[in-house]
Amino acid sequence: MSLPQFRLLRPRTLGEALDFLGKYSGHESAHTLPAQTSRGPDGRGRPSPHEHSRGRLSPQVPIQVIAGGTDLIPSMRQKLFEPEYVLDLRGIDEMRGIRPAADGGVAIGALTTLRAIETSAFLQQHYPVLTEAAATVASPVLRNMGTIGGNICLDTRCLWYNQSLTWRKGCGFCIKKDGDLCHVAPGGTKCWATFSGDTPPALLCLNAEIEIAGPSGARRIALHEFYTGLGDNYRKLQPNELVTRVFLPAALADYRGVYRKLRVRGSIDYPLAGVAVVVKRSNEHIDDARVGITAVNPAPVLVKGVREMVAGKALDETLAEAVGDLAAKTAKPLTTSALTPEYRREMIRVFTKRAVLAANN
Amino acid sequence: MTRVNGNFSIIGKPTAMVDAAEKTTGAGKYTDDFSVPGMLVGKILHSPYPHARIKRIDTSRAEKLEGVVAVAIGEDAPNPYGILPVGHDEHALALDKVRYVGDNVACVVAVSEAIAEKALELIDVEYEVLPAYFDPEESMKAETDLIHENKPHNLEKDYHHAFGDPEKGFAEADHIAEARFVSNEVTHAAMEPHSTLASFELDPHTGELGRLTVWSSTQVPYYLQHKLSLVLEMPMQQIRVIKPLVGGGFGGKSEVIPLEIIAAIAARTAKAPVKITYTREEVFWAHRGRPRTIIDLKTGVTNDGRITAVKARVVQDGGAYCSYGVVTILYSGALLGALYDIPNIQYDGYRVLTNKPACGAMRGHGTVNVRFAFESQLDELAAKIGIDSAELRQRNLLQPPCITVNGLRVQSYGLPECIEKTVERSGWKQRKGKLPKGRGLGIACSHYVSGAANSIIRSDMPHSTVNIKIDRDGGVVVYTGASEIGQGSDTMTAQIAAETLGCSLSRVRVIAADTDLTPIDIGSYSSRVTFMAGNATLRAADEVKKRIAAAAGKKMGCAAEDLIFRNDRVFSKNSTGSLSADALADKSVRPTQAEASVSGRVEGQILRGSLQQKRKEEGPKESMTFEEAVVAAIDFHGALTGTGSYAPPQDARGGKHKGAGVGPSPAYSYSAQVAEVSVDEDTGEVTVHKVWAAHDCGRALNPVSVEGQIIGSVWMGMGQALTEEMVWKDGMLMNPGLLEYRSPSSVESPAVEPIIVESVDPEGPFGAKECSEGSLAATIPAIANAIYDAVGVRLHECPFTPERVLAALRAKKNAKALNLTEGVDPTAPVSFREHGGALWFKGKGPERHAMDPARREAPAAGGAD
Repeated sequence: MSLPQFRLLRPRTLGEALDFLGKYSGHESAHTLPAQTSRGPDGRGRPSPHEHSRGRLSPQVPIQVIAGGTDLIPSMRQKLFEPEYVLDLRGIDEMRGIRPAADGGVAIGALTTLRAIETSAFLQQHYPVLTEAAATVASPVLRNMGTIGGNICLDTRCLWYNQSLTWRKGCGFCIKKDGDLCHVAPGGTKCWATFSGDTPPALLCLNAEIEIAGPSGARRIALHEFYTGLGDNYRKLQPNELVTRVFLPAALADYRGVYRKLRVRGSIDYPLAGVAVVVKRSNEHIDDARVGITAVNPAPVLVKGVREMVAGKALDETLAEAVGDLAAKTAKPLTTSALTPEYRREMIRVFTKRAVLAANN
Repeated sequence: MTRVNGNFSIIGKPTAMVDAAEKTTGAGKYTDDFSVPGMLVGKILHSPYPHARIKRIDTSRAEKLEGVVAVAIGEDAPNPYGILPVGHDEHALALDKVRYVGDNVACVVAVSEAIAEKALELIDVEYEVLPAYFDPEESMKAETDLIHENKPHNLEKDYHHAFGDPEKGFAEADHIAEARFVSNEVTHAAMEPHSTLASFELDPHTGELGRLTVWSSTQVPYYLQHKLSLVLEMPMQQIRVIKPLVGGGFGGKSEVIPLEIIAAIAARTAKAPVKITYTREEVFWAHRGRPRTIIDLKTGVTNDGRITAVKARVVQDGGAYCSYGVVTILYSGALLGALYDIPNIQYDGYRVLTNKPACGAMRGHGTVNVRFAFESQLDELAAKIGIDSAELRQRNLLQPPCITVNGLRVQSYGLPECIEKTVERSGWKQRKGKLPKGRGLGIACSHYVSGAANSIIRSDMPHSTVNIKIDRDGGVVVYTGASEIGQGSDTMTAQIAAETLGCSLSRVRVIAADTDLTPIDIGSYSSRVTFMAGNATLRAADEVKKRIAAAAGKKMGCAAEDLIFRNDRVFSKNSTGSLSADALADKSVRPTQAEASVSGRVEGQILRGSLQQKRKEEGPKESMTFEEAVVAAIDFHGALTGTGSYAPPQDARGGKHKGAGVGPSPAYSYSAQVAEVSVDEDTGEVTVHKVWAAHDCGRALNPVSVEGQIIGSVWMGMGQALTEEMVWKDGMLMNPGLLEYRSPSSVESPAVEPIIVESVDPEGPFGAKECSEGSLAATIPAIANAIYDAVGVRLHECPFTPERVLAALRAKKNAKALNLTEGVDPTAPVSFREHGGALWFKGKGPERHAMDPARREAPAAGGAD
């Protein structure tokens, strides 16, 4: 499968990057561009032949952002994205790095690699749930490339979506791309593609905020507001915006944290279910606890009611099990990946229980 | 271990592969690394339907795209072919029907991959969709819309064998176990995707096509030459097949794969060289892997642990074409024999066609799934009668030399020692049943042929032929048709030649698998190369050696039979000098400065004349260097060449019943394995901690290579046991990539302790048998039996995914059942084609987009664009 032709844009500063986005992300501006990416052997240039053949094109964003490329490149080969421009952020040094704040919190640049997060002594000490989650992503080689920003923005995944163009033709396409049917929830009009990032549930547990830069400046939102809960339009990010930084608050520093991931192999695999747990103890009882789950819904989700259930109590098997039940109720897995939904939900229960017990010890 | 210490200088020593350096440095060339001037890229259009009639193909829009040179379709080469003479049911490009999602419809030849991919979207194909069959047991009931018109009930082939008296056998049994086992479909997942480059000679005056040269990643270059000749209607002598380095085959390249023929057709249509390399998805569609197999197995034993009878009904989901299917279903039955002494066997095998990619040969061809069932059932019976499961196996050993009840000749038989060694090394007797809860040990055995005794196309032709030529400076060139596919075939050939000729390995150069240069060899499959091509190499080297000895004997004044060739020297066994002792010692003896210069180069000239002069003056010598002996032989005989061939002996070719041709082999390898696993009872996850694997390979010609093969077999078996499975939804392969197919990674790989057992076969080269396939089959039941030992659940379906294990654990505890089938929504249709899919499948439903096949109103879809 060849990579679709595109033009690579390589900004050196954030400002330059935003300029490119402003210029090329809208449909109108894109069409007035002089630069034709296709060296047009057919002499006709754009639009691409796919536009003729695939009747209902999903709105194609003419520009895609690349950092580590571990998510985008395979999808481009499968013709899930055929952008005219690819904006390569790697030259923007200001977006990289882990910077502890004076108040005890930390700001992490979106381009910081997962490997850097995994090995950061500061994060290991103060936000262990994040380093543990980062260390489980894919394989060492991919973590050297993949970034925290990319993991937050990770495209949702589904067995009916992450396939080649030829394959998708065979099933008649699906809601998320080029089609109007969902194959995992028959009859439904909602896309259930699953969010499969490992670090976001940990970040949700840590009350993380993200900075989004756009044409009208930067804004800061809570991470849980970033996700829509829909499989297709899964994040609130305009085509002309970038996620630039992640902030972890001082208040949640030094919480004990554990991440547990269900996968078939010990490496490489995306999570089939993931549970992040943070716990704050005082004396023999729990002060605060939060549970985030991933890979079982179209968004990473913070399990509601955990704190109320455990605060002020001493943790035992029964209580951990109750937290597990709560998490399992929040999980809505469907046949979007390997292993059956029932099993994956069951594992949310088991893994939550284990993670809560482990975090408490 | 009984390493019979033959007095060898090269055989039995750990030897680096002769092609290791080029492979590890990246200098080696695989097919996709080749290009020739003017080469174009081919891309194949695949069927989106599991079963449909092609009513019309319009390639005109694609042909008009700039950069497209040609589009080939089925009519360009309508001759059918297939690897088996009884199974010529494939067309490289579909003629009238497509039979699986991914079937080959057309091939675009263009100047780049991107343009070819674009052109694929411009080919208009009008299909008439037919009902499709996905389940073998359903498929067997089919009356209409057959997959192949000449195969009623979609039955490719069925066999019904009874050896001994099975009814009587079961009557004599004290205990009978009966169960259904299912082994799901797996594929080879070789590292290198298939690739073929086809190039015709073009007459510069007339533009007529001349000879065809094909570079291809194949295990069987000669079969490829034969099938190309059939489809292209060209004489075989006009076709040259060259096999470059191959990045793994495992059976997936042991027959002619569509792209190999398509590349040649496309090159002919385009009148230019064409290369096609499969994407990983296409590799999954080309497939030829191990079929999903349903095994209804019944075994009877007496109270003292003797097997009295076995009855197996085996249904294989073979996919849409015959491929090796008839052979697979026969192996499944035939190799119930030759491992244990089973007096009565009944076998009913059904190879069924379904609308999925064709299954074929895969490491352990035909034996693996049935072995999983059998060894699992044996374990159950051991528990039932209260005999240790290793002991039970030891009570049912063959007494070779013998002929089994189904006509298989067994000579060397290292199974007893394999069991003994694994039991000893794993601490079986002390640890079995005494490990902490959740941890367990399991044992299982397996075996495999060292080459099929009968070739695919039955004839008395030798299965392997090898030529050797030696030049005046002592360089040995071995020409063999045997295909190196990463298994070490070239190294084995070099080792046998060097050992026989008594020269150093570095003198030997192996030219392999080039149909113009090398004599015919039927290929790298059925683990035949070491045994057959090895024997042919041995014979060719012996022939050359005799000629050298005749000349050297004259020079040395002794009988040719008294000469010993060793460490680059030739000396008489009667000589007593320090030299012979030196040479016999296992260190390489380098020629002294004086000796080197006498036959060496001076200012670029080879001074043969002066060397001979010197020898004449000296009179008889006590010994000669290899080079001197070679020069003497060339002077004496003229050219120094030798040839050897091998055909299996008549008495090893099996019985007379229908289907008796599959299963017989000149020798069988044996394996016993103990696996140690732990099971997480809350999650059902299985961890394999260690596998002790003993393998009887006759003699380990290259121990490090044998160990590698054992470890690789265990690892591949573990993949099938725990994680690998091709998942289907109505003919759509849900995991056509290495990310979702999930072969084990290095993280899950357990410690494997390979134990080499050498039974020294009377007919193998230096006693060698096969070592690369036999071990795989034991791993799966060894793990299954270990899971049983750990948590007391018997798994009847592999792979043993965590959900299956957990479901079994819950069933045992009577806990709330885990619904494994669809979960969440019980009203969900079982097939996607029943909701959205079904709507387009039946030509109705909501408004579909243009590429949705259901929207293609027949006449309107024309090429008016």
